[in-house]
Amino acid sequence: MKGTGRVYGLPLKTRFYQYLLVIVIIGLTTLACSPLSNSQSYHIVSFILLFVVAMLAVFMGIGPVLLASTTSAIAWNYFFIPPFHTFHIEKTEDRLMFISFFIIALLNGILTNRIRRQERLVRDRENQTNALFQLTGELSKARGINKVVEVAGNDFKKHFDAHSWFIIQDGNNRLDFSPFFRNENEAPAIDKTIVEQVFNSSTKAGRFTGSFQEAALTYYPLTGTRLNPGVIAFRIERSVYENRDAFWNTYFTQISNALEREFLGELAIKARILDESDKLYNTLFNLISHEFRIPIATIMGASDTLLISQTSEKNREELYNEIFKASARLNHLIENLLNMSRLESGKISLRSDWCDVNDLVNKASKNLKQELEKYNLVTVIPEDMPLVKLDFGLMEHVLYNLLLNSCQHSPATTTIRVEAAYNNGSFILKVSDSGPGFPPQVLSDVFNKFFRVDGSKAGGLGLGLSIVRGLVEAHNGTVTVENEPNGGAGFTVTIPSEIPDMEELKLTE
Amino acid sequence: MNENKNILIIDDEVQIRRLLEISLSTYEFNTFFAANGKDGLIAAATHSPSLIILDLGLPDIDGLQLLLKFREWFTRPIIVLSVRNSEEDIIKALDNGANDYLTKPFRSGELIARIRAAIRMNEKGKDTPLMEFGSINIDMINHVVRKNGEIVKLTSTEFSLLSLLAKNSGRVLTHQFILKEIWGYGYVEQTQYLRVFIAQLRKKIEDNPANPLLLITESGIGYRFGS
Repeated sequence: MKGTGRVYGLPLKTRFYQYLLVIVIIGLTTLACSPLSNSQSYHIVSFILLFVVAMLAVFMGIGPVLLASTTSAIAWNYFFIPPFHTFHIEKTEDRLMFISFFIIALLNGILTNRIRRQERLVRDRENQTNALFQLTGELSKARGINKVVEVAGNDFKKHFDAHSWFIIQDGNNRLDFSPFFRNENEAPAIDKTIVEQVFNSSTKAGRFTGSFQEAALTYYPLTGTRLNPGVIAFRIERSVYENRDAFWNTYFTQISNALEREFLGELAIKARILDESDKLYNTLFNLISHEFRIPIATIMGASDTLLISQTSEKNREELYNEIFKASARLNHLIENLLNMSRLESGKISLRSDWCDVNDLVNKASKNLKQELEKYNLVTVIPEDMPLVKLDFGLMEHVLYNLLLNSCQHSPATTTIRVEAAYNNGSFILKVSDSGPGFPPQVLSDVFNKFFRVDGSKAGGLGLGLSIVRGLVEAHNGTVTVENEPNGGAGFTVTIPSEIPDMEELKLTE
Repeated sequence: MNENKNILIIDDEVQIRRLLEISLSTYEFNTFFAANGKDGLIAAATHSPSLIILDLGLPDIDGLQLLLKFREWFTRPIIVLSVRNSEEDIIKALDNGANDYLTKPFRSGELIARIRAAIRMNEKGKDTPLMEFGSINIDMINHVVRKNGEIVKLTSTEFSLLSLLAKNSGRVLTHQFILKEIWGYGYVEQTQYLRVFIAQLRKKIEDNPANPLLLITESGIGYRFGS
């Protein structure tokens, strides 16, 4: 968690080695120059030493440079200026020479060091600009609040070699601390009071700031133009942190903007979903109030007539029939609504088992006996049709809905075909009728919830075919619709299915 | 009053009780009622009904548990009449000792037919050596099946299956029960065997195998043998 300041500063330990290194280098240079220790060439030594001090200034801080200037001046005086091995200087010109050497070494060192510092500042700024540039780039690509937090955290770690924590609000201006206190061991020293204060006042606090100086972390508000996404907490070295207010403001603004963008995006999506479910709700209620009232009106009207009036036996029988039909219709509506809601909530679980397709077709058509009596039902199932693995009850429902749909949309006495086959590892079931088919432009909407062809006579909620699709998809299958060459509608259900190994069966005979 | 016509109805819905009372009295069944499980147990013990119609959603005890309690001593038919229509519930009820299962809303005609079949089967007992279903005759002693007087050739497995279903005619037998009875415990998952044998049997005994009238499929649950 602690920064080592690799980029922005050097720790004390390294500084101590710098002083030591200065003394060693000056010592070695003096030693190397010892052959020149005579009264003629000691001026040359001064140039060599000045050069060494200048070189040291390029690599070291101001302290070691001062030390280098001083030690080199002393060494020059002691070892090279006659009289040797004393600090005494005889000649006035030599004294002047010594003073100017010292001043030049000092200035040289300080100036070189300053140039280096300038250069380092420029490099720092470049680093900061790079950090901002990279952050902006990565944040612009990140989608979703979690992703933005992840990207920002990684960027912070990369550039400042320190961990950061994002305390993000939940969309209702309440901070969500839960991600940090799930695991006791990993919980950082986040101070809830400070975080709340920073969030509410939108001013920084904590370590190195004006308030809560003694805190373990530094806290910065993440503020946006329309909402405040939250607070960032981090712990970095003083040298890395201080005197960079403008940079930090820009840096955190980038993160805030990205977070705000995601927050607003999510709000927009939520609003759209709400809007759509509102629309669906209205459609559903309009349909229900209409579709339910008709059979209820029939039941009430018919039973009322039966109770109060003296109608003929024939009429009475018809009224009883109407009551029965209306209740059957109500029951069917409720079944469809329940099935739809079960499908949508994922509450339908498959009970796949081996099924005899003959049985399936027989059961579904028997349940629709009354409706199908008016039609010519043609069933085509190959003699060698294998058993297929699917949920019998649900597939019976699929076939029932498809057949009912055909009955509702075809003129009486026409042909309705049911064909079954097993092809390429899939069970294929086709239901086609001789009705008017679908207008080509609505073919893609046929399986949508509450879809009904405009001007269609058939009542209902427009749920039958979307239930078909839901049930088929629960079997990992597909259902398609097309208009047949004769103009009628043709539905094809394809469900991947294995077939049983019948070899073993023969042994049990 | 004929004792065979006493029917106990355990249901907490007044409207359903009224409907059943009227419908059943039309067919000269004598009905009496209980609105919860506890009263139901007492009523069954005191009135000794020939059949019980049981709702699963009772206020005091789950109908499936009540079934088990009844089956500790009550041997006559119990028909479950419930809004619960999932295959799991139906199988559970049959496993717990229900003779039949009808979901609400139901057709009165259907209910009467089921009641009659259940009572008839209970009176007849299971050891009748000669049984007749429409054009089919089954001779349990000699293992001979005749259709319209002509002998139908059946394999031994086919005969076991047919006689099991016939002995329980009118009653739904679950896939697992049939597999266990005919093939044994190790085969309760091998439903493909059952499908194939049922299809073969239909070809041999049904007038129109594509529209069976004797070997009736109960979707996702099992088979019922009826005439």
